[in-house]
Amino acid sequence: MNYVPGTASLIDDIDKKHLVLLRDGRTLIGYLRSIDQFANLVFHQTVERIHVGKKFGDIPRGIFIVRGENVVLLGEMDVDKPCDTILQQVSIEEILEEQRLQQQAKQETEKVKMQVLKDRGLSIPKADNLDEY
Amino acid sequence: MFDLSAHKTISLIQGQAEDMESEWTIEAQWPENGGSWSDTENEAGMDSDLLQAMAEEDEEINIFNEETFGMEPLPSTPPPNTDPKPLSPSTSPPSPPRQRPQYLPQYPARAAQWQRIRGPRWRGGLGRGQMFDDPAVMRIVEGRPSLMSVDSAIVDCGHAVYRNTSLDNVRAKTSISFGCRWRGFMFPPNRPCPSTPRPLTPKIMQLRFGADSPRPSPFYSPSTNRVYGDPVTQLHPQHKRLLSQKQHLKSQGSDPYCNLMTTKEKEWIIRLQMIQLQMNFRLASHLSSQRRTSQKLMHTSSGLSVFHIEGSLGQVAVSTCYSPRRAISAVNAELKDTRQQRLEILSKIEKLFIVLLEVEETERMKTPVSSEAEDAMLLEKIQRKVEHIYSELQHHDSLDSGTEFLPVLSVSKGKKLLARLLPFLKNDSAIKILHIIASNLPTVMSKDTEETLPVLYLPLRNVIGGLTFSQLIKVLRDLTSSESLSTLECLSLACQNKFGLTLLYALLSHGEKLLSSGVPLEPSIGDFETWTDIIFQVAGQLSQCSLVEPLLLPSNLLTLFCRYLDKRTVHQLKSNLE
Repeated sequence: MNYVPGTASLIDDIDKKHLVLLRDGRTLIGYLRSIDQFANLVFHQTVERIHVGKKFGDIPRGIFIVRGENVVLLGEMDVDKPCDTILQQVSIEEILEEQRLQQQAKQETEKVKMQVLKDRGLSIPKADNLDEY
Repeated sequence: MFDLSAHKTISLIQGQAEDMESEWTIEAQWPENGGSWSDTENEAGMDSDLLQAMAEEDEEINIFNEETFGMEPLPSTPPPNTDPKPLSPSTSPPSPPRQRPQYLPQYPARAAQWQRIRGPRWRGGLGRGQMFDDPAVMRIVEGRPSLMSVDSAIVDCGHAVYRNTSLDNVRAKTSISFGCRWRGFMFPPNRPCPSTPRPLTPKIMQLRFGADSPRPSPFYSPSTNRVYGDPVTQLHPQHKRLLSQKQHLKSQGSDPYCNLMTTKEKEWIIRLQMIQLQMNFRLASHLSSQRRTSQKLMHTSSGLSVFHIEGSLGQVAVSTCYSPRRAISAVNAELKDTRQQRLEILSKIEKLFIVLLEVEETERMKTPVSSEAEDAMLLEKIQRKVEHIYSELQHHDSLDSGTEFLPVLSVSKGKKLLARLLPFLKNDSAIKILHIIASNLPTVMSKDTEETLPVLYLPLRNVIGGLTFSQLIKVLRDLTSSESLSTLECLSLACQNKFGLTLLYALLSHGEKLLSSGVPLEPSIGDFETWTDIIFQVAGQLSQCSLVEPLLLPSNLLTLFCRYLDKRTVHQLKSNLE
């Protein structure tokens, strides 16, 4: 029941299973148990899901308290719907390995790109540093 | 809010720990003095039974706290078994502290057990310690735990519990002390650890967590040989309640953790959000109203106080004070008219063009097979439309009759329109147009920026071909006599322009044709003189100035010149013409 019609509130999302994407890129899935006025979230039975390509792996995390400002988006998940219709669940080791490989490949391309730019006298600051400016 | 959430979170952790099937559960000891909580929400609107239960629980909590934390700061002495408050067996269940001595020896055993369990289970690590520095992962993967595993506070709290007893490895303690702090783990105050928090006095608690937070009894570290014994029986009464509740509910199948956030809390947040909404709404409306008033101010002021000084380029207004450029670029009234006129003419031409297309279409329908009646009908239709176009094009605001088609001629589309219309026009009308063009040739030529005049050449030549000698002379006279320019100037201008020159040639050529045809010319008085005059002048012009390439060079021109001029001049002309 929406206490304040015409507005969006997290009140109705309490005790439901949610997926939250954080600013650092992590995806957490858990039951939203509590909120506050800053949209800080308390998640129960949280699972960190790592996606690499079509595979994913879950790491159980327990209880998470997420500071509101770090949330990119939050959405309710259908408890009944299976997630493995298109995606394939794999073990943690496998997914971490995949992630590592992905990161590696990314870093290599980034390195090559930076080198090419450097040769041409350009330097583009990396996105993760931009917050400092 | 912090307090309640923490409270519930603790119960969650307990449940969680159980879910994970670890050999131990953490023992959360949030120092609570139930009586000093300013927690009005729980008290209001509850029936007496619940209140009674709460009161009982509060009692238990008090006892538990005192037993656990005591009043003495000395950690080394074992806790006194004598309670300051006498326990009446009737009001409360047997207090945990009584059982504590029994558990005292058990703890090390449990710890050892825990460690033992951890050891063999986790000995078979995958050797990828670098990757799995995440204990949550490790727990699953059964990797080897490392000291750097600080990801899960749960794991490290367990560590801490164990290590605390040995009083060594300050570093590990440092990293986890921060995480575990809020759970009320006690640290010996004489630890030389920089991140160990100071004992939190009630005042500090108030500062840190707000005025409404619970004021706990001072954080004093229990002795190292204090029991963190059997978790289940050593539970805080509230946790015990919640645990039993949960267990009960779980058997029923519903979500045992639901409604951790009470209605009161939800309403509190909603109230806050409403306040925020109100603020936002008020702010937004205030801003928009400000904007509106400023706009109004701008509009009303600019209408009245536009000040134009006679003969100046621009005009002064309130708005131009803020943007001076606008004052200078103010549009002249006359210029505006011209632009407006041009647009009007253009639109008129567009409309008439459609009519012209209809005319041409109708013309095409006139096949040789069609009967006379049909032909006549079509012809009539054509004529009607043509006249309509003609009259429309002729219509002009100004009174002087010589400038009728000029606006149309200044637009290139208008020229095209006229060119296509000319074949349909009656002779008189066509001649009239020719006259207009001839008399205004300099103007027409100067306005022909896109060089569309040549389209008019062929139709005009056809018209010229139908002229009588007198009419021709008239045209020539028009061409050479202009208000502002002398004949020579007119002619020279004509010679500079492709169309003009070609038109001139066409006229002369036709004259020559007429003269040499032998047809009785019926000239008017002075025609021949004009004719010869013009010939000489033209010849003079042609020989002197540079000529542009004409559209068409009539073949009989030289013959014409031969008749009037001497051989030398003719030769010169010839060379010039080629």
